[in-house]
Amino acid sequence: MGSAVVADRIQFAFTVMFHYLFPIATIGLAPFIAWFAWRAARGDDEVARRASVFWTKIFAINFAVGVVTGIPMEFAFGTNWAPFSARAGAVIGQPLAMEGVYAFFLESVFLGIMLYGRHRVSPRLYAWSATLVGIGSWLSGFFIVATDAWMQHPVGYRMASDGSIRLVDISALLFSPFAWWQYAHVLVGALVAGSFIVAGVGAYYLLAERNIEDGRRYVRLGVLVALVASALVIFPTGDRNSADVTKYQPIKLAAMEGLFHSTNGAPLAIIGMPDTQRRELIDPVVVPNVLSFLAYGNFTANVKGLTEYADTLWPPVALTYYAYHVMVGLGTIFIAVAALAVLLLWRGRLTSFRPLLWVLMLAMPFPYIANEAGWVVSEVGRQPWVIYGVMRTADAASTNVAAGETIFTLIGFVGMYFLLGLLFMLLVLREIGLGPNVATHATQEAEV
Amino acid sequence: MNVAAFALLATTIAIYVVLDGYDLGVATVAPLVARGAAQRAAAMESIGPFWNGNEVWLIAAGGLLFALFPRAYASAFSGFYLPFTVVLWLLMFRGISLELRNHLASDLWRGFWDTAFTGASALLAVLFGVALGNLVRGLPLGANGYFLGRFAFLLNPYALGVGIFALLALAQHGLAFLTLRTDGELAERSRVLLARLWWGVLLLYCATTLASLALRSGTAAEAPMRLAPMVVLSLLALGAVHWFTRIGKPGAAFAASSLFLASLVLAAAITMYPYLLPAFPAGSGGIDVTNAGTGALGTARTLALTLPGLAAVVTYSIFVLRRMRGGVKPTSAR
Repeated sequence: MGSAVVADRIQFAFTVMFHYLFPIATIGLAPFIAWFAWRAARGDDEVARRASVFWTKIFAINFAVGVVTGIPMEFAFGTNWAPFSARAGAVIGQPLAMEGVYAFFLESVFLGIMLYGRHRVSPRLYAWSATLVGIGSWLSGFFIVATDAWMQHPVGYRMASDGSIRLVDISALLFSPFAWWQYAHVLVGALVAGSFIVAGVGAYYLLAERNIEDGRRYVRLGVLVALVASALVIFPTGDRNSADVTKYQPIKLAAMEGLFHSTNGAPLAIIGMPDTQRRELIDPVVVPNVLSFLAYGNFTANVKGLTEYADTLWPPVALTYYAYHVMVGLGTIFIAVAALAVLLLWRGRLTSFRPLLWVLMLAMPFPYIANEAGWVVSEVGRQPWVIYGVMRTADAASTNVAAGETIFTLIGFVGMYFLLGLLFMLLVLREIGLGPNVATHATQEAEV
Repeated sequence: MNVAAFALLATTIAIYVVLDGYDLGVATVAPLVARGAAQRAAAMESIGPFWNGNEVWLIAAGGLLFALFPRAYASAFSGFYLPFTVVLWLLMFRGISLELRNHLASDLWRGFWDTAFTGASALLAVLFGVALGNLVRGLPLGANGYFLGRFAFLLNPYALGVGIFALLALAQHGLAFLTLRTDGELAERSRVLLARLWWGVLLLYCATTLASLALRSGTAAEAPMRLAPMVVLSLLALGAVHWFTRIGKPGAAFAASSLFLASLVLAAAITMYPYLLPAFPAGSGGIDVTNAGTGALGTARTLALTLPGLAAVVTYSIFVLRRMRGGVKPTSAR
């Protein structure tokens, strides 16, 4: 029984983390595509027109892989987590069904116009399509985050006599402040990734000395958005998320910070390795009193440590701690890189300063890591609960599916996703290699 | 309220079958009708822009099942664990095959991926049929409403028969699509094969319908009566496929084939109602719209929240299709 739950958790973690790589890019790139499409619709901005076509292709590859890997997620609740679905389906089925109906179709149908109908529609309708695709991808993210936020902080429900959970107030679920701050954090996180992708590809073109005009545009726009988005990640969205965790999930906060013992004026650990046996942080480098300030706005406030709680209520401490520190560390570096880039942009030196172009190009994978790490903090950190304080993960896994079966399908998913990952890289690198100019030539040939 | 919820779910599944059905069908029949690299490419390109969007309807159906009938969702997908996972892999694999084929200009490479695409798609058509057959036949539900669908139980003659029927019906649908959306030799060969395959579809339709009636006859005496209008509709639609193919109206033939598939899904739904997962043997209860649902209030809320969205989807899908009428050329050089 225990090992079946472990197998189910590993499988869910693997499939959802792989899936999420693609929504990060679609959510993050959508506003750029809409921006370029509207610029192009307003007049003869050739670079913007090329950019809207080029980035739509990158978007489409991400969307296709996102759909294909999203289908297993839609059904994983039923296959691997049947008791959870039977009990909580009346609540979480609701936003998931709304995602399909309101968001996914919007994305897929209008993406069809952008990919295949560009020469049949006016630039304005094309720009509207880009906007609707963007709205679809952002709405999709909202419904998923609202579902997760309910599992983190359940509201608007009641228990029926048979133990199943009934939704009483859908607006409480959809307009929960917990959900909105989490959603805002997820959005700006994806926007950081999107802006680093745009800037990174632009930097590559400048370094390779091809598509110079396009590369300059991408780098400039990318670093500006990156600075704003990476600042918003930390304040106010990250700050508000921390406040919610402090309030509703204090054990997660203690695990994130590696704080084992309740402390007045708790320090913020910059580095250090949590040791759950000896219940201390090994070799810590700390900033005194800062954790108390961040959590409660007061440098001497008491922050509760893990030992306040039974260790059966602890999440996996090391994983939560490291994921949180990776996320925060990378988030800080993003601000520094973006700020330096914007400073150089202001001095008019950005697009000719090769060292920073190298940094921008090589930075592309890291926002992905930060986004995924953030979700690890959120989801691993709330263990042992699948619905916080209501239902334990151990009681949520399908009892009619054996560990052996789950391990078998996990191996299959690993193999399938390896193939899918190779395909994705092949397609995306090919489009980047062709570049916005070649793409336009091919399009003009297709027109003739 | 439960009837409306059940009908909405059945309609969404029917739309999925009609839409993804033609791209599965095209994949299945492509090696039979497409000769040479150019025709094979034309067959693949006819569905290239659509397969991904069609699969969104599967996601919508899954979401609706989850929201409307969570217990049925939980029982069905955990019970069909391995078969359903295989379906997911095949869905992914066919997507991969279709996208990969264009990336190396080598006959070996393309031949391999085309064969993989055809194999995965044909197997999917059979598996969808087997699943539907087992739903109609009933599942070995335990006291708590869960079951474990062993292959030995699921691969019974009746369900396999429905599987073969599904393969032929989707092949017919794919041929109707190819006749409509391609031209020249490929369209002509599709039309000829469609006219021949039609007899097989007719034969298997009669056989599976009779077998289904025999299977359920002991239990729901009213089922044949409820089913009669659907059988008439199916037969009319199937007849229309043949007629319009003969007189050379591919658009009407495709519409008739779509209607035929939809009527099959609805007929299965009518046979099963009020059960979502009938127990095996037939007549021993099962998971029905009441015990799987979320109460009248919950169901009403889900319907109120999703129906406007679905109406909007249908509206803007039609708008987009009208804008894009007259063949589809990808803007990228594939």
